[in-house]
Amino acid sequence: MEIHQVKGQIVLTSRLDDMGHLPLKVLKSVSGSTSVAMDPIGTKTGDWVFTIANSAARDAAGDKRLLTDLTVSGIIDNWADIQKPDVK
Amino acid sequence: MKIYRVEGTIVSTNRIAMMDHKPLLLVVDKPGASPMVAVDPIGCKQGDWVLCCGSSAARDATGIKGYPSDLTIVGILDKWEG
Repeated sequence: MEIHQVKGQIVLTSRLDDMGHLPLKVLKSVSGSTSVAMDPIGTKTGDWVFTIANSAARDAAGDKRLLTDLTVSGIIDNWADIQKPDVK
Repeated sequence: MKIYRVEGTIVSTNRIAMMDHKPLLLVVDKPGASPMVAVDPIGCKQGDWVLCCGSSAARDATGIKGYPSDLTIVGILDKWEG
């Protein structure tokens, strides 16, 4: 599961029915690549989150019918101290 | 399947309900690479070299059928020089 930062949200007025109604967030990965994921938990811009890809993404979004290959699955609480571990 | 090194733990209180209480670990492909998050059904500690399985097999490897994961630890390497 990759780690991304939420950059913003996109709106698709004309889209397939099976895309459902979950918000679509633009994510930027640690290595810098940009991708879009469905967000069932409600993140805000700037949150560090981890995502699920492949076949599990559809289940993670809540419904097997949803057309997604990437879903935001959780907000990382301790990202700040993972980046700068205080050396004990 | 790929070999990763366990860096530390991830805490995520606000996550999807399907993930229930499986522990999540931060794993790195090689030192300095971008970290990934893996589900840990075994109980590894920091610094362990582990084998991780991806894509759809990762879902059942967690012990719960159809668990939403695309990277799961399946074993700890006894000896690996890294």
